[in-house]
Amino acid sequence: MTPQVQAFWIFVAMACLVAGFFLWVARSTRQAHEVNQDAARRLRRNFFYSLTGLLVIVLALTLRHMPYPVPTERPERIIFVVGKQFAFGISSRPIADDADWEAATYSAPVQIPTGAMVEFRVSSFDVNHGFAVYSPSGELLGQVQAMPGYVNRLRMRFRRPGIYHVFCLEFCGMDHYRMRGLFFVVPRTNTQSHTRSLLAGTGE
Amino acid sequence: MPLPVAGDGLWQEGEARAFRRLTLAWMGTMMFLFSTMLLLGYFMRLFQANAFRTMRPEWFYAVLTLHGLGMVATWFVGGMAATGYLLTRYSRPSIWISRLALAGTLVGAGLLAAATLFGLFGTGWYFLYPLPFYSSGVWPPWATGCFFGALALLFSVWTIWVLDLLRAIASRFPLRQALGWHVLSGRPSLGVPSFVLVATVSLIAGAAGLAAGMVLLGLWAVEWLRSGYSNDALLMKNLTFFFGHIITNITMYLGVGVVYELLPGYAGRPWKLSKALAWAWNTVLLLVVLAYAHHLYMDFAQPRVLQDTGQIVSYFLSVPAAVVSIFGGLALVYAAPMRWTLASWLFFLGLMGWAIGGVGAVIDSTVALNSRFHNTLWVPAHFHTYYLMGVVLMLLGFAHHLAVDLTGEPERPAMRHAILALLAIGGYGFLLAFYWAGAHSVPRRFAAYPRELSQGVAAARVAVVFIALIVIAVALYLWETARRCWRAFSA
Repeated sequence: MTPQVQAFWIFVAMACLVAGFFLWVARSTRQAHEVNQDAARRLRRNFFYSLTGLLVIVLALTLRHMPYPVPTERPERIIFVVGKQFAFGISSRPIADDADWEAATYSAPVQIPTGAMVEFRVSSFDVNHGFAVYSPSGELLGQVQAMPGYVNRLRMRFRRPGIYHVFCLEFCGMDHYRMRGLFFVVPRTNTQSHTRSLLAGTGE
Repeated sequence: MPLPVAGDGLWQEGEARAFRRLTLAWMGTMMFLFSTMLLLGYFMRLFQANAFRTMRPEWFYAVLTLHGLGMVATWFVGGMAATGYLLTRYSRPSIWISRLALAGTLVGAGLLAAATLFGLFGTGWYFLYPLPFYSSGVWPPWATGCFFGALALLFSVWTIWVLDLLRAIASRFPLRQALGWHVLSGRPSLGVPSFVLVATVSLIAGAAGLAAGMVLLGLWAVEWLRSGYSNDALLMKNLTFFFGHIITNITMYLGVGVVYELLPGYAGRPWKLSKALAWAWNTVLLLVVLAYAHHLYMDFAQPRVLQDTGQIVSYFLSVPAAVVSIFGGLALVYAAPMRWTLASWLFFLGLMGWAIGGVGAVIDSTVALNSRFHNTLWVPAHFHTYYLMGVVLMLLGFAHHLAVDLTGEPERPAMRHAILALLAIGGYGFLLAFYWAGAHSVPRRFAAYPRELSQGVAAARVAVVFIALIVIAVALYLWETARRCWRAFSA
């Protein structure tokens, strides 16, 4: 189960809990009576401590898993990405101008060996775009914004070989929904034959 | 009893009647805009379900822009109008400034409709810099000018309106009392209603948000008028989300303020200003201006301290909401001699939608998860939960409360049950399709989905069935409420 689907089920469970509690309170009005205010205040205090404690625990657990680059880690591969209405130029070489971008957009997809720490250096030549990486099975794995005037560094590691699609996740104009790119993740050994079979799969 | 109360030392009979008619005009505007924007939202989900295969995507994006901005504007002005009306119990908001705001809102809405529906201006509701300058030949320069002109007009009249309501509060309660600081220092409440505290916090935050919006428009104007000058994309993004987040957040709070003021009347119990309540809302005032940072998690160039702050603040902003407002609302209703009407049910269900939407929002505000949820359908899922099933229900409840109060015409239980059942089933069914799609990595703002993301089409097809139920519910609601409002207006 993906982290997103796990979060979905946690959400559904909590939403049902909230709705159930509201319905229980609504039903309680069938038999009106006085409420002990001291008991209500105690309950609220306990609720406050429980909720705050839960949030502190979740914060402590999740703040360690930030997607931002860690200065002490060194990436094995650098991939340059530039978004421009309505395609991504993805290349192993820096993309400095429109000619580089065209070359990157229309050349063969870049290849990344499995398990390698790769750093995507992502920017834009026009508006904001969203560089979002999807697994071969269509799961969103990570993303970063492509901003004009800035280079955002997204580090990822891919364990499964295959075709990884890139979709634009920041609205960028009329053909936003068609803006995409791709790259290959290939086994560390036998790279060339694997690439040939992936290229055959994409029809390129 | 209908407000303003004539002869209470604040209002003369003629003024009170004029203020009631003005509030009814606001509610009519709110209901008209809501119905229109709802149908536009329906169009968008039908578009994503491939119902209009031959239609150009420019239409989807123009409608997306109008729907988003239209809904934000509708519920902001609805919340402001309701707050202004309820404040007449304690002070004198200016009737002329409210009229100016109504005129400005109507003209602004017309300009936005022209820019999007005639000019096909389609940048999404937050017009992220520098997209309006990169139309790809879709919208002409006049549409860009019309769009920014509309925003300048709306921000101007709304700022004046916000400041006037703050003035009205300050004329009755010194600001430190309106913010409950005297209660924090252990003194009695001095008759400050909890609603006034909520309204004061919302309006101060709203003024800050609108000020950021004005600065943003100024920077857009400078770049447009001075060739060769370009703004910093990260600064513009910070300003955009500071403004956008605060306006949508305080719209929610304005709706909550209405519930604080009116739900006690149905429950037969007071909702008094207490130390806990004062702590909670002052904390909200402090945190709400920082929470916007969670919109920029995926901008890795943003200083890291702001990213951490975004998650911490977003998490702890949920504490006062849950522990004081939602718990307080439940404690108010629990075993109370409750008078259940359409209005009181809408207030109650609105609190529930706020709570459920808050769960979705806290999940999304976790940076580690946001990298997998950002700009997927999880985002519209959670904000539609606390909008459609939260503040919208609260303000529809207010309009119905007002209509029944002014006409004295009793409501029909069968109609009430039908409206509530259709809203609940339609609303949560529609939202579940959004959440499910977001959890399956379906992006938002796609006019059509490619083969790899075909689950987006499936989710849209499920959603359109549930939206049909919402449309029927809203039609029934309008029959019950708009009719009464019109009768009261023309009496």
